[in-house]
Amino acid sequence: MAERAIWSGAVSFGMVNIPVKLHSATRSKDISFNLIHVTCGTRIEQKRWCPTDQVEVPWDEIVRGYQYAKGHYVTLTQEDFDALPLPSKHTVGISAFVQASEIDPVYYEKSYYLAPDERGQKPYALLLKALEEKGLVAIATITIRKKEQLCALRPHQGTLLLDTLYYPDEVKLEREVDIDAADLSDEELKMAYRLVELLEKPFDPEAYHDRYREALSALIDAKLEGKEVVVAPPHREAKVIDLRDALARSVAAARGGKPASKSRKTKAPPARRTRKAGARKAG
Amino acid sequence: MSVTPLLEEPQQTREVLDQLAGIAQNMTLEVGRWRVPVTSLDRPLWPKARPRPATKRDLLRYLARIAPAMLPHLDGRPVFVTRWPEGVAGKSFYQKSWENPPPFVRTVAIWTQESGVARDYLLGANLATLLWLGQQSALELHVWFSRVTRGFDGRGLGTGYASSEQSLLESRLNYPDFLVIDLDSYVYSGREAPGDEPELSRRGFDAVRHVAYEVRDVLETLELGAFVKTSGRTGLHLYVPIVRRFTFDDVRAIAQTLGEFLQTRCPDEVTLAWAVKDRTGKVFFDYNQNVRGKSLAAAYSPRRHRDATVSMPLRWDELPDAYPTDFTIFTAADLVANRGDPWGGILAAKADLELALGPAAATAVSQ
Repeated sequence: MAERAIWSGAVSFGMVNIPVKLHSATRSKDISFNLIHVTCGTRIEQKRWCPTDQVEVPWDEIVRGYQYAKGHYVTLTQEDFDALPLPSKHTVGISAFVQASEIDPVYYEKSYYLAPDERGQKPYALLLKALEEKGLVAIATITIRKKEQLCALRPHQGTLLLDTLYYPDEVKLEREVDIDAADLSDEELKMAYRLVELLEKPFDPEAYHDRYREALSALIDAKLEGKEVVVAPPHREAKVIDLRDALARSVAAARGGKPASKSRKTKAPPARRTRKAGARKAG
Repeated sequence: MSVTPLLEEPQQTREVLDQLAGIAQNMTLEVGRWRVPVTSLDRPLWPKARPRPATKRDLLRYLARIAPAMLPHLDGRPVFVTRWPEGVAGKSFYQKSWENPPPFVRTVAIWTQESGVARDYLLGANLATLLWLGQQSALELHVWFSRVTRGFDGRGLGTGYASSEQSLLESRLNYPDFLVIDLDSYVYSGREAPGDEPELSRRGFDAVRHVAYEVRDVLETLELGAFVKTSGRTGLHLYVPIVRRFTFDDVRAIAQTLGEFLQTRCPDEVTLAWAVKDRTGKVFFDYNQNVRGKSLAAAYSPRRHRDATVSMPLRWDELPDAYPTDFTIFTAADLVANRGDPWGGILAAKADLELALGPAAATAVSQ
C-alpha cells in the first residue's frame, strides 16, 4: 500500500476520533484507447462546440445545466456547488453498527483500505477488534470527490475496508423479472440441487480472469511486434506556419526599396574609427 | 524569467531618504559626490492621489527607493521626459534635448532628421539624475528601445549616432532590444466627455488583460517570451526581448503582422484601426511604437494618472489579480523591495526573431 492516499481524514463516532488515510483496494484494468484520425494518424482533439453561435466554447463560458424538460435546463455555477452542505468533508461519520448480513451485496459499490495514521493506531485496532468479535459493520458517510457517499466499514483480514454503498434510491430492487410461482416437483428440485453441488467449491478469485482484456493485450503486443504501428506526424499547427511565413514576408516587404535598413548580413563592417569609439564607451 | 530579490537599500538611497525626512521646503541633496538642489518639496504634484496628495517630496522619496530596480532599464538608452511644473492638473511639455545639464548627467549626441544637426539627449540615468529630473517635475520618463551599450549582440553595429542619418541607421540605436506591443483599452467607462480618451475601468482593463494573454499565447507558439508591465494608465505594455539583428523597420513590420494575426484571431476584441471611433469597445494593438526615436514610459516611471500610478513590471502570474491603480509612488517601491524586479532578467532572455520566421525568411532575410 505504498501508493498515495486518495483521501485523509478521521473516522469518528461518539467521542472517538481515528485519523486515517484511504487507499483504493480495487482498480479497473480496462485498456483505454485514444481516438486517431485514420488518414494521418493524429490524435483527435475534442472541442466544445456551440451549434447556435457556431463557435468553440472556452471553459470559462461553460456552466453545468440540469435538463428538467426536453431542451430546458436549470444551470448551476461553481458557487452553487460550493454552497452545498457537505458536512463530512474530512470525517467518516459513523451513524450505526449493523449485522454484516443485513447489507445486501447489491449495495456495495467500490472498496478502499482504511489505514491508520500514526496517532490513530490504537483506536483503529480497538475498532477493528470490536467489529470482528461482534460480527458488525459500521454504517457511515464520507465525502469523496465532492460527493457525499454512504459507506460501510468492515473488518477484512486484519484491516478495515471501507465500501462505498449505493443509496437506496440508487438501487433498483423492484423485480424486473417476474417468475410465476411454478409448480416445482420434488424430482425437479433434487435434480437442480445435484447440478449446483457438482460445481460447488470454495471461492477462489485467482481462478477468474478478464479473458477479453487478455486477448486485447495480446493483440496490441502482436501489433507492436509486427511494427504495425501508426505514428502521428510531428505536431505543427498550420496557423502558426502561416504566421511564420507572414512574418517573414512582412520583413521582406519592409526591406523592399529601403536600402538603409537592409540586413546586417550584407552590410559593410563599420569603420575602424567608430568601432574604437564604441569599445571605449562600452568599457 | 528568474526574479532576483533586490539587495538591501543601497547607502545612497538611505542617505537621500534621511535628508528628505525633514520638513525643509528647499535643500541641496547630497548624492554621493554630487549636489542636487531641490525646492518646494511639499508642492502637490498629484493633488488628488490617495490616500493623500502626492508631493514632490513623495516623488523624490519614490525615485530614491526605486532607483536600484529602475536604473538598469534606462542604462545606455536615450531618455525623454514629460514635465508638469504645476502638477498633473496643469500644463505639461515634452522635453527631448538639454543644454548645459549638470556634470552628473550623461548625454549622447544623436543626429536629428528634422533639424539636420545632432542634439544632446539624456543617456540613461543615475540616482542624482533621477532626483534632478524629479526637481524639474519631470514626472514621466520615456525610454528608447535601443541603446548604445555594446552588450553581447551589439558588436558589429556602428556607433556613429551624431554624424549623419546614414550612420545613425547603421548604428546600435537603429537595432532595438525589444519588440514592443502597446495594448490600450477603448472600452469606455461611460464617464468620459465626448471625444475624451477612455478612462480606466475594470471592464476595460479585463479586456486588455485578456488580449495580453492571447498575445502571449501567439508569441509562445513562435517560441518568443514576453514581459508585461502596466502602462500606469489604462493599458499594458508587452516587451519581447530580441537579439539585435533586426532594424526598427523590420521589427515594426513583424509587430504589425502579429497585430493583424491577432485581429483575425480575435476580431471582437482586438483592433488595429486608426480611427478612434472604430476602436470603440476593443483593445487597440499599437505596433507603431517600434520606431527609432519613439519611446514608452520606462519600467517604474511615474505616470500622469490622478492616483500617482507607476508603470509596473509584473510576473504573468501576478497579472490576473493586478489593477493599474494598485501600483503608485506610495506602494510600488515596497512591492519591489519584497519580491524583486520581475523584469530583472529581461536582457538575458533575448530570443532570435529570425527563428520565429517561417521558411520564407531564408530568402527574405538574406536579400
